[in-house]
Amino acid sequence: MVDVVIVPATRGQLGVLPGHVATIAELKPGIMSVHDGNGVTKYFVSSGFAFVHANSFADIIAVEAVPLDRIDASLVQKGLAEFTQKVNSASTDLEKAEAQIGVDVQSALNSP
Amino acid sequence: MDIMWDLGRREREEGVKMSAPMPFWRAAGMTYITYSNICANLVRNCLKEPHKAEALNREKVHFAISTWKDGKAEKPVIRSDLAED
Repeated sequence: MVDVVIVPATRGQLGVLPGHVATIAELKPGIMSVHDGNGVTKYFVSSGFAFVHANSFADIIAVEAVPLDRIDASLVQKGLAEFTQKVNSASTDLEKAEAQIGVDVQSALNSP
Repeated sequence: MDIMWDLGRREREEGVKMSAPMPFWRAAGMTYITYSNICANLVRNCLKEPHKAEALNREKVHFAISTWKDGKAEKPVIRSDLAED
């Protein structure tokens, strides 16, 4: 059992402690942190869901969840510049949406 | 207990909005799966090696697709990211 898990829900940071009410939360791209007696372990989750069960178990479902030290900051900066430019030059709704997703994810990756 | 879960009642009678606004990607016609896979691909492309190559490997697909016509399957088309042998 850990002390608390903080997940990046679409509605804001969600802190889950033992005894938390059963919850389903959609996650946005961002950092989740697991706090226990030994300190904090952080992961970047690409998107997904957090399922908190009534018995104090929580499942975090994500397509990609990586420890922060695996992220290459220079690639993030390049991506951020590229997608910021794409948002402005995009024509169709779909292209705009894809570029906006790019900006959102790259900004989130840039945050730690 | 019934009242706790009847979210429809709160919307109807108290005028409280119980749902979130539609995300921009859904408004543009994208499904959640497409959105989630795009996010995952963006994260994979920002990783250091060798993690990046390992992660991008997860995107590879290999499948056969066949269209049906007049109740019969036509010749399957194979779509693959794996090396041709």
